[in-house]
Amino acid sequence: MAEPELKDKVEELIKDHEVLLFMKGTPEQPRCGFSMRVVGVLDSMGVEYAALDVLPALEPLREATGEIADWRTFPQLYVKGDLLGGCDIVEEMADSGELAEMLGAEATSETAAEAPASAKQDLQQADPQQSPPMQIENS
Amino acid sequence: MAIALNEVRLLIEAALPGAQVEVVDETGTSDHLKATVTAAQFEGLSRIDQHRMVKKACQARFDDGSIHALSITTMTPDG
Repeated sequence: MAEPELKDKVEELIKDHEVLLFMKGTPEQPRCGFSMRVVGVLDSMGVEYAALDVLPALEPLREATGEIADWRTFPQLYVKGDLLGGCDIVEEMADSGELAEMLGAEATSETAAEAPASAKQDLQQADPQQSPPMQIENS
Repeated sequence: MAIALNEVRLLIEAALPGAQVEVVDETGTSDHLKATVTAAQFEGLSRIDQHRMVKKACQARFDDGSIHALSITTMTPDG
């Protein structure tokens, strides 16, 4: 069972950031090869994203994402509130061009008003800069 | 604790009857594995859902630490 408070917080983060990466370490200092590869893909595409270091609360976050997205390993990339995947899927979609299409469409926030009605328009833009790693108290 | 590649393959095949499964050891330590799975069951599913099915098949071996990392590539028979 995930701690309800942490789970709420994680759900909120996912909702509040169009592109959110849960990773081991930080974009500047990844602590896992798979996380590093996802950062590499995102950086090479010039995508704005928020990153959260999971290491300070690894097991509680595993529980939380396990319940939220049925996925317990990191990295995890969320786009518009949904889990896109881990390193394999992100790299595969980057190679096929699907990722650029998906993220590129979002990067142009000016055209958001023209997005299909089905698009979630109430999502806040991700912070202009990568968010500093959020502190999660592992109580 | 390492795991036999064959066991991983059998777990995936049991979860996805008829699937073509190839499992290789990426590091020579038998705990960083790479599975390539071709299954008709993936038809119409998002990649993340396809990966979920493969992971779920091996979940017990993740939980007991036999597998540290499983890299997954999924395909449908049609391409």
